[in-house]
Amino acid sequence: MSLHSIFMALAHSALGMAMQTSKWDFAIVEMVHLLALAVLGGCVLIVDLRLLGVILKGESARKIGRDLSRVLLCSVVVMIASGVALLSEEAGKCYYSPAFRWKMALLASAVLFYFTLHRRALLRTDMEAPTIWSRTAAVVSMMLWLGVGVAGRAIGLL
Amino acid sequence: MLRKGQPETAGLLYDGTASMAPLQHICQMLYDSGFGTALRESDNAFSVVESVHVLSITLTVGTIVVLDLRMLGLVLRSIALTRLARSVFPLALSGFGISLVSGFLLFWAEAAKMYTNPAFRVKMVLLVLAGLNPLIFHTTVYRRVQEWEAKNISPWRARAAAVSSIALWSGVIVAGRAIAYFR
Repeated sequence: MSLHSIFMALAHSALGMAMQTSKWDFAIVEMVHLLALAVLGGCVLIVDLRLLGVILKGESARKIGRDLSRVLLCSVVVMIASGVALLSEEAGKCYYSPAFRWKMALLASAVLFYFTLHRRALLRTDMEAPTIWSRTAAVVSMMLWLGVGVAGRAIGLL
Repeated sequence: MLRKGQPETAGLLYDGTASMAPLQHICQMLYDSGFGTALRESDNAFSVVESVHVLSITLTVGTIVVLDLRMLGLVLRSIALTRLARSVFPLALSGFGISLVSGFLLFWAEAAKMYTNPAFRVKMVLLVLAGLNPLIFHTTVYRRVQEWEAKNISPWRARAAAVSSIALWSGVIVAGRAIAYFR
């Protein structure tokens, strides 16, 4: 099954049909998507500013990262679930949209980075002062997540 | 009889709109202004401002929600509430400043339509309530924060403030998104 046929199947599924025919179904899912985005954005910012050594300097970066990761991952799950529903409304268009492809690539990179190098930077920094590596990890993380958001905004505009 | 009644009716109508008219008039003036028209009819500028608006709201609400979750005792319990509040407040405030400026620019471009938009009105009311909430909180239970911030469970008034903060800010986002659906 090619990726294109998966997108088409999603567009023709019951979910896709509901999203395409009802204005408010789409609106409500969009609102949920935005609410989860706000929570995700807040968590990313606080964790990465700690990693950068801008806020909460005396506190353990490991602890902050671990605590907020629960909230962060919950919102990512909500965003992906609501995102699939939003995608079903115009899967055919999204398949060819460069903004959508960018968003998916950036999302994959952000999640991958979060679970690997970013995690390592949090564990290593813990109570220590920020190093060039932890600072780089924080900046890369913020850029990746910001990129996901900007590309997502662009899907509706391009 | 009719002649006698007419000026009265006209007078009533005038009185009825007089309280609303100035605000609507200002909205129409903003809408018709050179800047408002240029922004509304621009290819990219409006979308860019809109994106900045969405991202800055994310910054504001996201950081406030983390603080609210701490107040509910759900995250970052090892960090003192006052310490977290001091770190988060500048972030939330700067995000709010950016969203206020970008929001006003968006309003400028669409003012005449916003005046009658029900979602916009709801958003403004929720925004005022979301602003009043911390004011009330700060002048009451937060004054004695030193007494309770180390405890595992915050007083019920603090938890109520956290829950209403999350609810009100969520409402602002939901109403804000709904504006587009009433255009």
